[in-house]
Amino acid sequence: MKLPRTTLLLGLSTGLLALQIGGFQRFQPPLRGSYASPGDAKHEFAWSRLRYTSLGGSFGGFGFGRGGAWSRDYPKADIVFLEALRRLTRIDARSYQQVVDLDNDDIFNFPFVYAVQVQTWTFTEAQAKRLREYLLKGGFLMVDDFHGTADWESFLRGMRMVLPADHYPISDLSDNDEIFHVLYDIGQRFQVPGEQYVMTGRTYEKDGYVPKWRAIRDDKGRIMVTICHNMHLGDAWEWADDAQYPEPFASMAFRVGIDYVMYSMTH
Amino acid sequence: MFKFLFKYPLSTFANGHIVLLGTWPTWVLWTAIPAAAAGLALLIGSRLRQPGVGLRRPRAGAIWLLQSLLAAVLLLLLWQPAVTTTELKPQQDIILFLLDDSRSMAAREDGSTRQAQAVKALQDGALTAVEKKFQTRLYRFDSRLTRISDLKELRATAPATHIGDSLKQLVDETSDLPVGAIVLLSDGADNSGTVDLDTISALRTRHIPVHTVGFGRERSSHDIEIDEAVLGPRALADSRLAAVIRFHQRGYAGRKSRLTVRDGANVLASREVAFASDGNIQSETLLFNVGAAGAKALQFSVDMLPGEENPANNAVTRMVNVESDKRRVLYVEGEPRWDYKYIRRAEDDDRIVQLVSMLRTTENKIYRQGIQDPKELAEGFPTRPENLFPYQALVLGSVEATYFTAAQRELIREFVDRRGGGLLLLGGRFSLADGGWGVSSLADLLPVVLPDAKNTFHVDPATVELAPAGLDNYITRLVDDPAANVERWKKLPYLMDFQEPGVPKPGAAVLATMDAAGRKMPLLITENYGRGRTAVLATSGTWRWQMNLPVGDPAYGLFWQQLLRWLVTGSPGHVAASVPNQVLLDDGRVALSVEVRGEDYQPVTDAVVEAHIIGPSGISANVEMSPVPDLPGSFQAEWTAEKSGSYVTEVTAQHGDKPIGRDVLTFQRMDGIAENFHLEQNRDLLGRLAAQTGGRYWRPQDLSDLADEISFSEAGVTTRETRELWNMPVVFIAILLLRSAEWLVRRKSGIV
Repeated sequence: MKLPRTTLLLGLSTGLLALQIGGFQRFQPPLRGSYASPGDAKHEFAWSRLRYTSLGGSFGGFGFGRGGAWSRDYPKADIVFLEALRRLTRIDARSYQQVVDLDNDDIFNFPFVYAVQVQTWTFTEAQAKRLREYLLKGGFLMVDDFHGTADWESFLRGMRMVLPADHYPISDLSDNDEIFHVLYDIGQRFQVPGEQYVMTGRTYEKDGYVPKWRAIRDDKGRIMVTICHNMHLGDAWEWADDAQYPEPFASMAFRVGIDYVMYSMTH
Repeated sequence: MFKFLFKYPLSTFANGHIVLLGTWPTWVLWTAIPAAAAGLALLIGSRLRQPGVGLRRPRAGAIWLLQSLLAAVLLLLLWQPAVTTTELKPQQDIILFLLDDSRSMAAREDGSTRQAQAVKALQDGALTAVEKKFQTRLYRFDSRLTRISDLKELRATAPATHIGDSLKQLVDETSDLPVGAIVLLSDGADNSGTVDLDTISALRTRHIPVHTVGFGRERSSHDIEIDEAVLGPRALADSRLAAVIRFHQRGYAGRKSRLTVRDGANVLASREVAFASDGNIQSETLLFNVGAAGAKALQFSVDMLPGEENPANNAVTRMVNVESDKRRVLYVEGEPRWDYKYIRRAEDDDRIVQLVSMLRTTENKIYRQGIQDPKELAEGFPTRPENLFPYQALVLGSVEATYFTAAQRELIREFVDRRGGGLLLLGGRFSLADGGWGVSSLADLLPVVLPDAKNTFHVDPATVELAPAGLDNYITRLVDDPAANVERWKKLPYLMDFQEPGVPKPGAAVLATMDAAGRKMPLLITENYGRGRTAVLATSGTWRWQMNLPVGDPAYGLFWQQLLRWLVTGSPGHVAASVPNQVLLDDGRVALSVEVRGEDYQPVTDAVVEAHIIGPSGISANVEMSPVPDLPGSFQAEWTAEKSGSYVTEVTAQHGDKPIGRDVLTFQRMDGIAENFHLEQNRDLLGRLAAQTGGRYWRPQDLSDLADEISFSEAGVTTRETRELWNMPVVFIAILLLRSAEWLVRRKSGIV
């Protein structure tokens, strides 16, 4: 049977895309069946994950609902990180994550927000405005898990809707930046790969060979957005309990994540 | 008429004593009168019992009464009643006339000035009548006393009136003269508002009566006058200040005007006020940003209204030293919390208040922010006064009382009590009652009695509202208009959490309240303690205001900046200088006071304290200050600012060769202002002065009696006069009337 060329091309593209989206992740069951325990709701800190509309709408795993790009490593990465945060600091943190979006003002009740796969994010004007206001009022955004030149450009398209380049330049973080010393003094930083490292031995994805620790600051020099480009801290948290995933990557990811949260609560 | 009936004027009786000159004992008189009455009663009674006497009992009673009265009068005359008086000796005693020559006497009323009315009152015969009996001297007075030879020397141009000082000077200058009385002609507009006790005492010692003659209307018909503008003598740069302006008006009840505060030509704040009833003192609070550092002469004014008689009393000036020295607040936080971050961000915008914080990030790590050098707080919370007392305020977040050692808790107490620092406790998981503060040794420092319970901290929403005490408080003023401010508070986003604060102590002020599911509780409570001040903010969830109000909304930052500024503003340095009044009206005398405290804020008794004063026209003076007996660490000095203008005083203190500290204060001498105020006749002061010295308050039209009445005095050279009273016309008239009345009764009864 001879398939039409268009059908072949469509099928091939879909397959490649599916590989990209899923990465090389192995299936992870949720860590807990009922992590959203109402009795554990009243705490000072709630780890918030940004749910956004991905490029291409709701097509094939992208999109706004559960299972979209925003939910990569969700919820285990969040829960494991929270366990570390609760164990290692005096932050009164809720044991499970919170999902927030930009379609209502609920995000303003969660001054720290984490977003992944941000090369796929898209915003309406209203959403971009809400995120801009969130950041200007003192909210903190951490983005993670996007790799290479194309992802960067794609990330910027969304980011620049929120914070224009002329007022809010992106700068590289140095070893001396306070954000790496709030709790842990993190000197030598290295690329933290995703779980694909276990199978491929590569610390990078796409053409993202060099980890980029970057930030956007407000007019007083305080960091509003931390950008973890060419690395995958979320995977490192998620797979920290996997014997095959190297401990130094997980440790680095935890220390960076905790420093970022601590910075967001002190600056 | 009185003199015709009683032979002597009323003043003779008012100033004299009634005596009986008869040689028989007085008790005989008091026995004889009832005996006579009883005898008459027996006699009339026996006559009634005789047959054929047709006298009814009431008429018999009336006859008895009239005869008894007649007998009493006659008996009294037998004992020779008289009045004795102490009187000045004619032509030997001196009567001193003091005429107010201040500018307020130039006020024109009813076609002539007050001074012209005073001169006329004297020239209409009063002065001549006195001169016929006594020697007289004329004086003019304002802030000083000057003898004059003629009433034409009066000018009514002097810028101030000091009645008390002038009287004191007069008493001193005439100590060797036989002064019989003082006649004071004035409107009573004394710039100090009273006559001091020393002066009254000096007059009473010499028994000199002061007769006061009042000029000027006792009530203006249309006038607005500022009585006082109250605000602290010091402020931090760019602070919002709350000034309480007290004023009264006549003739404009229900009308509206504008209350304004100006720094030079700049209007700092202005708002409309509606006048209350005539004559009542009205208080209004005006909030304004005091601006940049420096000595500021702020003018508070009420706009003039049409028909106002005296527009010059619508404004007053007050000095404020606006300081830009950094104030440091130590914030101890037991766990990372969002409010910690947002408070720090709010204080980033404050150029004066620096927030130094120590945050317990983990069980064993403390993260420090805002420190001046790496050694600061490196060892944790200070354990010695010299390490804690350099801060002006202390904020304790979610941290247990037992986190501090007993010695550290005692140090916190001394920080507030002795050092005069501010202490703020925030709500939280380990705060207030849940942190064991209610049973700690510091419980008495707090403005509330904490609940005797645990689990008082709740991560549940609570709405906020201003309490009555917060309406005029600058900590809680988010917008200038008071009514809008109340609404602003009601519209603030709900708090993320709250803590049961317990019961406010007597003397504490509840500035704001919160409502959690219908349960209303105090939110912000403040109180003074020792030399310092304490506060409780029973939440850690104000950060929602910042995140849930529009971008750029100042409410959160303003609230926290104002709260922390309140906490640090009253914290004194090692050397704290003050003057009773920073604006000297026409009187340059200034009393400087200084408190000197060492590194541990204990009083330093053997310091060398010096004030260096710089004034207008190159005035420069060094004034050595002396210790105040019985007040350890207090020093004082008196100095006179001779010229009108601003004066800057730098006070330095040192112990041996070691400097203790310095302080700067300013004051201003303003001439020609005081006489614009209190233009209504101060009848109260004049009346009181006369009553306290044995004189009398006179209206100008009554002065014709002055010469007679002034004779009765125990001052100077006196003589005792005895005047018999038996031959007063009123006595004979009384006898005649009694006899006539009896005759009429008898005739009615048919027995005449």
